[in-house]
Amino acid sequence: MGVNPFFMVGLLAAALGMLLVSAAGSAQEGDAVRGERAFQRCFACHSVDPDEPAKLEGPNLANVLGRPAAQLSGFAYSDAMRNAAAAGLIWDAATLNRYLADPDSLIAGTAMSAPPVRDAQERADLVAYLARSGPSRR
Amino acid sequence: MRGLFMALAILAALSAPAQAQETKYYDLAKGDYPHDVAVGPKGEVWFAGQKAGIAGRLDPNTGEIERIALGKNAAPHGVIVGPDGAPWFTDGGQNAIVRVDPASKDVKVWPLPPERMPYTNLNTAAFDARGRIWFTGQNGIYGRLDPPTGEMQVWDAPKGRGPYGITATPAGDIWFVSLAGNYLANVDLETGAATVYEPPTKEQGARRVWSDSKGRLWISEWNSGNVSVYDPATKRWQQWKLPGASPRTYAVWVDPDDKVWLTDWSANAVVRFDPDKETFASFPSDRPGANVRQLLGRKGEAWIAESGTERIRVIRYR
Repeated sequence: MGVNPFFMVGLLAAALGMLLVSAAGSAQEGDAVRGERAFQRCFACHSVDPDEPAKLEGPNLANVLGRPAAQLSGFAYSDAMRNAAAAGLIWDAATLNRYLADPDSLIAGTAMSAPPVRDAQERADLVAYLARSGPSRR
Repeated sequence: MRGLFMALAILAALSAPAQAQETKYYDLAKGDYPHDVAVGPKGEVWFAGQKAGIAGRLDPNTGEIERIALGKNAAPHGVIVGPDGAPWFTDGGQNAIVRVDPASKDVKVWPLPPERMPYTNLNTAAFDARGRIWFTGQNGIYGRLDPPTGEMQVWDAPKGRGPYGITATPAGDIWFVSLAGNYLANVDLETGAATVYEPPTKEQGARRVWSDSKGRLWISEWNSGNVSVYDPATKRWQQWKLPGASPRTYAVWVDPDDKVWLTDWSANAVVRFDPDKETFASFPSDRPGANVRQLLGRKGEAWIAESGTERIRVIRYR
């Protein structure tokens, strides 16, 4: 039986993340308010509004935390993203953090061209903001 | 039956990989991630190293590559060569227009006014006939900088987010397209007001635009997989689907002979469209996942930025 590489990486990253958080205190705790401002980096291509009417370049990010990759029907994902999904990639805080830090290092050949978010605090803020995005309020 | 064979033969000819006169690849440093590319007056090739935050300069004769840091947090998306022969960058990371002096390599930065929008996701730029540089910001703005005075103006784009490619016609008019807004727009060079023109295909995803020698606007449509053209003189649209089952048309450049060069992510190929014959010729990359986001050249040379393989490619054609 093969080991799912994304599951193992996710587990290790989550464990490492817990260690880092406990070691560094609140330094890497995300702030959703700051994250909303940081989301301007993502705004051109992504929405967190589940009822977003515009057809954007990137997939909708409402309820993205905990969601398996490449799951939205009707969105034309890249082959690279579909392959990652087939290998078991799930969007949790650890995988999102890695993806934001360097998209290609997590998913080689991803269509997302956003520059790396080099600041760890800014990544944590973005993840906190995405965690806050929820179901439709309309 | 004979008719069927003829039709199949014609179809095959329309979409078959073309024989380039010469194609060559230049490897870049890992992490450079060339987003856009432009050719200078001496044939030097500039690229926007988006993830490394650099201006890259390639000497095609020697293969030598020079890398110039643009500043802290730099992440250049677009590059064009201005009327002064210098490369000009739309730098999303610094939220600024950036010029590199081609001789001294000095870097000059014009930040956008942050109070309007701290991060506009700057995209591409074009010069008008008066030497002012116009630019798009994908978060929903477009703007104008007069380099000698430093005066900069920024306007909200129709329909908000989406402004992407921008081009100047031979007469110096400025047009841009909106990827999320699905339109072509012409700006009033003095007031900055934008007039929207809707392509016939709904939700086509107009990503980039380039003018031909007659001022017709050629558009790469990401969602529809079309190339379309708008002629301001006749107010007429035309569009053609690229070859293949589900093309994804990303970039467009019109060469000095008015042949239309495009990139298709589904086919992993550069595609040349002949508007007179209404035929396509395909130039596939020699590696998968080239992810070509832009191409630009001069007579006889199409220069191509392969962001996915981190290479610059040239196709020399007749």
